[in-house]
Order: sequence, then C-alpha cells, then structure tokens
Amino acid sequence: MLALLAQEVDFVRPAIDWHAVAPELTLLAFGALVTVMDIVWLERGRRLTSSVASIALLVTMIPIVTLALDGEDRVMFGGAFVVDNYALVMKAMFLVAGYVVVLLSTNYVAEGDYWESEYYGLLLSSILGMVLMASARDLITVFVALELLSIPAYMLATWRKRDLKSNEAGLKYYLMGVFASAIMLYGMSLLYGGAGSTLLADINEAVSVDGSPSAIVVVGVIFVIIGFAFKVSAFPFHTWAPDTYEGAPTPVTAFLSVASKAAGFVALLNLLFVGFFGRDDVYEPLIWILAAASMTVGNLVALRQTNLVRMLAYSGVAQAGYMLAPLAVASDVGDAALTATVTYLLVYAAMNLGAFAIVLAVARKTRSAEIDSFKGLFGYAPGLTIAMSVFLFSLAGIPPLGGWWAKFRVMEAVIEAESASGVVLGVFVAVNSVIALYYYARIGLGMWAEDAPNGDTTPIRVPASLVSALAITAALTIAFGVYPPLVSEFDVTLLAGGLGG
Amino acid sequence: MLLNQFLLLSAVLFCLGVYGVLARKNGMLVLMSVELILNAVNINLVAFGAFRADVGGSVFALFTIAVAAAEVGIGLAIVLLMYRNRRSIDLTQADLLKG
Amino acid sequence: MSDFLRSYLTVGIFGLIGVALVGVFLGLGKILRPNKPTLAKTEAYESGVEPTGDMWSQANIRYYVFALLFVMFDVEAVFIFPWATRLEAYGTFGLIEMAIFIFILLLGLLYAWRKGVLKWA
Repeated sequence: MLALLAQEVDFVRPAIDWHAVAPELTLLAFGALVTVMDIVWLERGRRLTSSVASIALLVTMIPIVTLALDGEDRVMFGGAFVVDNYALVMKAMFLVAGYVVVLLSTNYVAEGDYWESEYYGLLLSSILGMVLMASARDLITVFVALELLSIPAYMLATWRKRDLKSNEAGLKYYLMGVFASAIMLYGMSLLYGGAGSTLLADINEAVSVDGSPSAIVVVGVIFVIIGFAFKVSAFPFHTWAPDTYEGAPTPVTAFLSVASKAAGFVALLNLLFVGFFGRDDVYEPLIWILAAASMTVGNLVALRQTNLVRMLAYSGVAQAGYMLAPLAVASDVGDAALTATVTYLLVYAAMNLGAFAIVLAVARKTRSAEIDSFKGLFGYAPGLTIAMSVFLFSLAGIPPLGGWWAKFRVMEAVIEAESASGVVLGVFVAVNSVIALYYYARIGLGMWAEDAPNGDTTPIRVPASLVSALAITAALTIAFGVYPPLVSEFDVTLLAGGLGG
Repeated sequence: MLLNQFLLLSAVLFCLGVYGVLARKNGMLVLMSVELILNAVNINLVAFGAFRADVGGSVFALFTIAVAAAEVGIGLAIVLLMYRNRRSIDLTQADLLKG
Repeated sequence: MSDFLRSYLTVGIFGLIGVALVGVFLGLGKILRPNKPTLAKTEAYESGVEPTGDMWSQANIRYYVFALLFVMFDVEAVFIFPWATRLEAYGTFGLIEMAIFIFILLLGLLYAWRKGVLKWA
C-alpha cells in the first residue's frame, strides 16, 4: 500500500482558498482554544467556556457572510470541497442552531456541574463536522465529516455519567450510530469499487449509465441510504431516537434532534443530488417507502406518548418523513425537491429548538417532561404558553407560521412531479398532518384550558439565556411563515447554485 | 488480479459482523462485531484500489482505520461506564427507557 | 499443471514434511519415555514460585485508560507513515501540515496529563 502511495512521483501543492475554508478553520481554532484554556486554567476556566463557545459561533458567521456577499462558487481539492449557496445556507443554519443550543446549555450545564470545558469543546467539534458536511462532495470527506459530528454527540448523550438513563441513552445511540455508519461505509466501499473514484461527481457519471444498474451499484446505493436513514431517524431505523432523546440531557436532545438530523439530511442531499442523481430507479422507491412509513408510524406512535420529549422524538420521525418526501420524486422535479427539503430543514430547526427551549424552561420548575406537567401552564407562565403554542402549531403546519410554508413547499414538490407515486405521497402528507394536529392540539388545550396539577402556580423564573433562545427561535418561526420570501430568497440563489440535476 | 476472492472474503466478514451485532448480548462482543464490518470495508477498499490502480482506496482505508479507533475508544468508554454503574455489560439489561 | 500451481505444490510438500517430522519425533518420544505423572509435574511452571489463583483474573481498570491512550496515538501514526515516505517531496508545506496535525494530537495528550489521567495513584 505504501508502495502504491509512493508511486505518485510529482507532488503538487494543492491550491488552498483560505477564504473558502475560513469557517472551518475558525471553528477548529476556537475548539483548540477551549481545550487549551482547560489545560492551562483547569477549573478556573470553566466560567468562560460557554461565552467562548458562543463567540466562536458568532465569529464563524463572519466568513460565511463575506462568502455569501462574494457570491462566487468555490471548488477545492479537485471538487471534494465545494462552497456554493446551498453549502453556505446550511452552514449558517448549523451555526445558528449551535448558538441556540449553547444558549440552552448555559444554565443547564453550569447548574448541573457537568464538565463545562469538555462540553463546549465537544459541541464545537460536532458543529465543525456539520459545517464541513455542507461542503463535502467526496466520499472520504462525507465520511470524516459524519464521524466528526457523531463521535462528540455520542459522548454528549452520555454526559450525565452517574445517571443510568443517560448511560443507556448514550449506549443505544452509540451502538445504532456505529452500526449504521459501518453499513454505510460498506456501501461506500462498493460505490468506490463501481466508480474507481471517491468524488461524488465521478460516481454519478459511473453509476448513471443507461440500462439496469449493476449489483454493486444497487447494494452500494441502498446501504448508503440506509446508513443515513439511521442518522435522520426515519422508520424503521428510528428505534434509538425516543430512548436517546429521553435519556440524554435536554440541551443535547435539542442538538441531536435538530442539528444532527439536519446534518444527516445534508449528507443525504449531497449524495442523492451529486452522487447518484441519475440512478433514480434505485433510490426513489426506497426513499418513497422510508418517507411514507416514517410519517405514518411516527405520527401514530406519537399519539399515545405521555412524555413530551418522547412525543417530540416520534413527531421528529414523522417530520423526517415529510422532509424525505420531495426526495422520492427528485428526478421529476429536480431542484424543486432540493429547495423543498432545505426550506423544511430551516423551518424545522427554528420550531423544534423552540419547543425544546420551552421543555427546558418548564422543567426548571416541574423537574419533569411529562405532558401532564404542562397542564395549566397559562395560569402561571402566559409568555411560555404563547411561545409553546406558536411552536406546536408551526410543527402541525397551521398558517401563518413557518411550518405551514414548509409543508406547502413539500406538497408543491410532490404534486408537481405529476406522477401517481407523487400524488399518493401527497395524500400521505395531508392525512398525516391531520393526525399530527390532534396530538399537538392536545398539549395546547392542556396548557390553556386545564388547571395546574396539584395547584402549584408559582411563576417560573426563566434565565436570560433561555429567553434569548426563545426570542430567536420564535421570531424565526413566525418570520418564515409571515414573510416566506425570507426562505424562498434562498431558493433562487440555490437554483443558481445549481447543485447536481 | 484476483478481485473476486477479496470481495468474497469481505462479504463473509461483513455478514459475520452484522450477525454478531444483531445476535450478541454482550456489549464488548457487539463492539468486536462492528470492527469486523469495518475490516470488511477496508479489505474492499484496498482490493478495489489495487484493482483499479488508484490510491484513493488506500487513502480511504487509512481514514477508516483511524476513525474506527476513535469510535471504538468512545464505545469502550461507554460500555465501561455502564459496567461501573450496573456491574454488567449485558445489553438486554439496558431497558429503563421504553414506550 | 501450470507453473503457478506447481510452485504451490512445493510449498505443500514442504509443509507435509514439516508436519511429518514433528509427528515422528514426538511419537518416538512418547513410545520410548517412561510415564509416571505426579501432581508437581503437571502444575504450571511460574519461575519456581507456587502458582496461586485463577488464570482468568481481571486486569486492573486503570490499565484501560493507558491502553486507550496508546491505541489512539498508535493508530494516528497511519497518517504519519505515508507522509514520511515522501518527506522531501512534500517539503515545507508538508512539514507545516504535519506540525498542525501533531499539535492537535498533542493537545489531547496534554489534556490527559493535566487531568491527572497519566498518574497511577
């Protein structure tokens, strides 16, 4: 093997566009800084780490904004690393979601006395993996980015070391995640064998030849999609999600259910649209089944949950189904499917993070995430009740909130395909939205109309960081719905970005 | 160049690994089974790389080896944590969370 | 028979001769020597000290952390070997890249040291 490496006689120094990799390098530098602070100051540095982490995420936004203003697509390493509008939108989303997670974590981690320096260091490296994933257009880069974002997440899920539930959450997440990534890797190795290159663009050329696909390509594509189906918690690969969400620390749950899921989707989008777009006869039926099964099973199981976090986990499975739906007709509608999924991801991030922020705020008083403990919330925390209603109705897809617009785009994409499978999928989305409305509305009704259990109506003291997290997510949720151009503006640039197709 | 034999070996390893992950109850043995799958991947990558005279396969295999080590390190730590808290690494006993 | 298989035939014959030789010598010894087993003779030899305990004893949990650190840094060497084979070609650029790589690895080791993981007590 080494002899093979040594055959490459003339080494040409790769041209590095420092501006294009600036976001990744900034995050890396801040991640190293958090570790150095810990090494130098030990316990004395703990107070600062949460602020350093939030500063890191805000500073990383600067190169993203300048790259967006520049507007030029940048390609590096022979096409393995691409910065286009799509990548920038996703990177910005990961950074904002990461910032909100830091806000959610600040009090939780400090009050729980949970190894703060390591917590924020790992959080930053996980976000670094996600930011890298948005630009990855090569099997190796996708794989490294995936592991960079997953491995810290396994540790974060197990963060409460002495708590058996947290142990179990981490263990289940780890075993499922590692198994899925091993299967995905096996698929990647077959795709590499079929194409003779790790570049997604080359793979697309090799697998998209007319006629029936070779066995290697079919197995490769299916294994890779199954690997990411675990990551986005699509049925029947969702079994880890409810358990992990319930057992993990709540800010970590918010991170997993939003950022980690979005990263899985970003990888899936990269692979589908750049890697094997021409092989729609293989991936479309598979995605169709995953999408239809996820929404239906996710919603039906969510109906009988008594714990809000578990309910949000199953509702997340259903939401993953909605997000997969446009991809099942990707070959017919092209970039419209991409924009629908990206829009849904942006809106979902805002509203789901918001819902978890409320869970955190209420749990500060009730120490519980049971749905019953939310009863009568309006009596003593009207502000939280209104915000929670906004997030729940947005998740259900009621106008004029963001979720409505996202669902509308998904419906538009599947109907636009003008195929029987697309229309049937549209019916699935519609029926499931009605089912979902029932359990979201049930919580809303409990909060507004019923009395608090055991009549405890002392007000909740919400710390400033949680208030700002709520303000950011609520503002985004409402803004996306009231003024859709905010997200559809991205659509236009995305089309110009011309990912795959 | 013999490619089929390598692919066959790797397919057998892959199946053994998948069987191990699904059938074993001991946390350590599940980790070992995952390693089997990853080694199957490495054999595939290196065989395809040599077959096509492309270094990409070997490079990919190097990354897989390094990342697998990191992954298993975390896995061992989590299994060890479970052992400390429960005095057992039987995965079927991890059943606090369900519904 | 092709040359390719013929060369394997040689390996096979050598293997057979090897197995036969070992078998003959061990068999001869078995036939010729007297057989009088006693307890002291069948015991495992531990440098003359009397063996105690079970051989499946559990290793101290502290070894685990060292083993883990060793595995991590040992495996990261897979990136250094290919770099070392082409050291001159990569020049200063390669040197700086590797320095950054090793710096990040070193942070991990320093972290372990500062947290007192490397102390036995």
